[in-house]
Amino acid sequence: MIAVLGLIVGVVVGLLVRPEVPAVVEPYLPIAVVAALDAVFGGLRAMLDGIFVDKVFVVSFLSNVVVAALIVFLGDKLGVGAQLSTGVVVVLGIRIFSNAAAIRRHVFRA
Amino acid sequence: MSENPQNPENPQNPQSPENPRNPRGPQNSEDPQNSQNEREPQRSESEREPEGLGKPQGAPGPQSAGKPESVGEPARGGTAGEHEAPSDSVHDTTADHDVRVPVPPVAPAAEPSGRRRLASALWPPRVTRAQLVVALLLFVLGLGLAIQVSSTSDNSALRGARQEDLVRILDELDDRTQRLEDEKSRLEKQRTELESSSDQAEEARKQTQEKEQQLGILAGTVAAEGPGITLTVGDPSGAVESDMLLDAIQELRAAGAEAIQVNGVRVVADSYFTGSGDDMRIDGTKVAAPYVFKVIGKPEDLEPALNIPGGVVQTLEKEQATATVERSAKIIVDALRPAKRPDYAQSSSQ
Repeated sequence: MIAVLGLIVGVVVGLLVRPEVPAVVEPYLPIAVVAALDAVFGGLRAMLDGIFVDKVFVVSFLSNVVVAALIVFLGDKLGVGAQLSTGVVVVLGIRIFSNAAAIRRHVFRA
Repeated sequence: MSENPQNPENPQNPQSPENPRNPRGPQNSEDPQNSQNEREPQRSESEREPEGLGKPQGAPGPQSAGKPESVGEPARGGTAGEHEAPSDSVHDTTADHDVRVPVPPVAPAAEPSGRRRLASALWPPRVTRAQLVVALLLFVLGLGLAIQVSSTSDNSALRGARQEDLVRILDELDDRTQRLEDEKSRLEKQRTELESSSDQAEEARKQTQEKEQQLGILAGTVAAEGPGITLTVGDPSGAVESDMLLDAIQELRAAGAEAIQVNGVRVVADSYFTGSGDDMRIDGTKVAAPYVFKVIGKPEDLEPALNIPGGVVQTLEKEQATATVERSAKIIVDALRPAKRPDYAQSSSQ
């Protein structure tokens, strides 16, 4: 419950404050958000499976974000930033879908 | 692909999706093993050593062959694999999702608990370390999400555009700028031309207007004012005749009179005098004594012209008429004649 509140508060604060994103971070933010979403879905699924461990969630969340940003950074350096970003988004999207499917089976049994 | 320890023990396993008629057979044989796996090793595995999770994921290979739901499952080997730890139990649920009702004895322990776990996690709220940590991370996620969404929706058109599109847009803008610059210079040139020509037209119009005024004064179509004299001819005995008035007009013209009116009748080039005494007419308009001549011209010329010996004044006085000449700095000649358009004569200039 508190976690859900944290998400809502984050969205509200982000919409109200509208902070300026530093130009350095700007290209990585979308990918990092998608990676974090993936970690969140994984955590939700783990919770439904009853094997949720907060330490693992924290590590996976942070490592997901860092790795995604790293891939984009590397892609930019190699000149294939756009393609690599697309690839990362596709992979994370597939994972989000599979996790969502598992969650759906738990919650709706269908 | 690492071999799942289950697979060698379950040769029937791959058949289960292809053989929906007897799903129980393989599942029943499978479940006990899964339950063993689930109870102890997996928990400890997932908590202690995420690495170990790679192994059970070898299982989806044969199973996923016939199942559309498991399309995304190979992706579980990725970075966040820790949370897909219960791949075995998940596979069980996917495997028996066709035969949901006759769930094997183990399933109730894991299956219905999903919804209950969710509910119990949501309510009542518990302040635990895990909740707080997750709340912090989700707060960061929400923040990033909101920032990204708002920054994307700010200037949407160009932000998401690809480089080629941007180059194309830039080219189009350059072309457009060029065209507009051309048009601007063309219009400026046109304006300059129009200004100079309108200057000329304005000058011509002014000159025409001036000329019209001058000619209007001569033709008697406009009023005039200026220095001049007033000649009053009294006729107590009715002896004044039209030729005497005509003489006076001729004398005034010869002395440089520019505009003349007699008793409210403008005297112009084609004016004529008829009759005498009580029936004196100028241009057909009846005038009566005293005859008041209002004359614009140089007074120093006009007055002597009338007063010379044997001139107009003396002639009139000889006929028992009175004539008085009076200089004035401002004479107003405001009697007008209608402008006549010549029917046959046309200007031969131009």
